Amino acid sequence: MILRAKEISKSFGGVRAVHNVSIAVPENSIFALIGPNGAGKSTLLNLLSGIYQPDAGSLHLEETNLIGLPAHRRVRLGMARTFQKIRLFRQLTLLENVLAGFHIHQDAPFWEYLVYGDTGRFREEARSLLAFVGLEARSGERAGALPYGQQRMLEIARALATRPRLFMLDEPAAGLNAAEVDFLLKRLEQIGRQGVTVLVVEHNMDLVMNVAHRVFVMDHGEPLFEGTPREVQHDPAVIAAYLGGEFAS
Amino acid sequence: MSARRIYFVVSILVLAALPWLIATPYWRGILVLCAMNVLLALSLNLVIGYTGQLNLGQSAFFGIGAYVSTILVKSYGWNFWLAAVAAVGAAGLLGLALAAFAVRLRGHYLAIASLGFAVITYQVLVNWENVTQGVRGIYGIMPPFSHPAALFYLVAGIAVLVYVLIDNLVRSPVGDSLRAIREDEVSAASLGINRALWKAFAFCVGAAIAGLAGCFYPGFVGTLVPDAFNIVESFTMMAMVIVGGMGTMIGPVLGAIVLTFLPELLRGFGELRLMIYGIALTLVVLFMPGGMVQAWMALRARLR
Ligand SMILES: Nc1ncnc2c1ncn2[C@@H]1O[C@H](COP(=O)(O)OP(=O)(O)OP(=O)(O)O)[C@@H](O)[C@H]1O
Ligand SMILES: [Mg+2]
Repeated sequence: MILRAKEISKSFGGVRAVHNVSIAVPENSIFALIGPNGAGKSTLLNLLSGIYQPDAGSLHLEETNLIGLPAHRRVRLGMARTFQKIRLFRQLTLLENVLAGFHIHQDAPFWEYLVYGDTGRFREEARSLLAFVGLEARSGERAGALPYGQQRMLEIARALATRPRLFMLDEPAAGLNAAEVDFLLKRLEQIGRQGVTVLVVEHNMDLVMNVAHRVFVMDHGEPLFEGTPREVQHDPAVIAAYLGGEFAS
Repeated sequence: MSARRIYFVVSILVLAALPWLIATPYWRGILVLCAMNVLLALSLNLVIGYTGQLNLGQSAFFGIGAYVSTILVKSYGWNFWLAAVAAVGAAGLLGLALAAFAVRLRGHYLAIASLGFAVITYQVLVNWENVTQGVRGIYGIMPPFSHPAALFYLVAGIAVLVYVLIDNLVRSPVGDSLRAIREDEVSAASLGINRALWKAFAFCVGAAIAGLAGCFYPGFVGTLVPDAFNIVESFTMMAMVIVGGMGTMIGPVLGAIVLTFLPELLRGFGELRLMIYGIALTLVVLFMPGGMVQAWMALRARLR
């Protein structure tokens, strides 16, 4: 298990967004986190990535205790993420967005920056990450000018620049058309094959059923079910939570 | 030679010729003032333009630099250069203090807090009479070089050096981190960027540079009164950055030059001067929010 959360909770005022959730993500797996709107998925991801600190519970990345560790420190441990509501550096170019992702790997002494400025380090690697998400041709454009679907892909490239071991994505397929979802699916599998553990929050059941090894279902801030995609599809409690809607097939 | 090199060499030649082209003592003085304003605009631009921190307290650091260096020289008999080092350090430390607010506050809240910071500093300069002489002021301050051309060369040389260093810095990965914080703090943190650290860095360096500019001001005018560091000065610096073009290197330099010379050229208009100045400023913000740099880019795009 690469990530282990035990009975973590987070409330906002009276709202129990995440309540007593325990989760264990196996290394080298693609792990999906699903649940109806407001189930607490994004909140859980924010707790895991350090945007929020939990009110209670324990949280470990392998042997490292994550409680109290701010978000930027968790990145150095190999945790990266994307956001449900896209948060690109909109005024910066695609290449600059990805280059910023290499921050923790920039280890040249400070005086070199003062004397030489741009060292050009990671430029090639940044370009190949842009190529990986199909955006190398637009590397000089401003991120804010990209169509929605490509913004999502850019956020993925930027997060990958941190070279994560655990990559968490919050609804990467939201707002994507069928062809883009297909492309995303392939990329997620490829990322997984490179030895990165993927934790993906998703509403798109096609995607979940196709790429996930395990699925964790949440509802009303609490864990509802965990199993393989097939088991989840046939679990009555899960079907009830979704009112049959997306599982009707 | 690269275009950058050519620009650099040409700028140096122009700077070298300037005090001989503009040889009246009055206008030579304005040249020194202009170089000082360039330093101030550069310092503020690092904080506002590149790091996105709405700082209205820059006049305080300018004042700290001026008072600390002058008091150390006049009351304690320090050598000017040693006093300047201490003054820059003091301003930098105070910048760190303001950064402590910036870590917790954002946008307008930070603007108000930094404004309060400038007001407090101003009040200390007015009221701590044992040390600062208050509104009576400190008189008979000598510049490090008495020849006006030499003083211009000194301040302009420092401005060029600061420009080159900041230019390198913002093109380096440090610049990537600062801009990332400006664009989206949460995203920046999600990439491992320690926003508290880099905000503190920007505030500290910005304050130190403003403090450095402050070291040359008292010797240049010969007297030192708190009013020179009134909060209005913060807004003037802000205007330079905005009129020139925030978040670009050359913008604040152009803004500082224009806003140093414009009021001088408008002197003939007497009382109307401030009004013209104000209207011009409003028009700029309204119609070219990206400042002169943006206007130039738009013009160039149209001519192509
Ligand atoms: N910062 C916050 N302040 C107050 N309430 C919040 C906050 N974040 C989330 N909540 C509440 O917590 C609950 C869980 O929200 P969360 O965003 O985690 O759900 P989700 O499963 O990601 O939903 P969706 O599928 O719509 O993205 C909701 O009731 C939401 O209103
Ligand atoms: Mg969500």
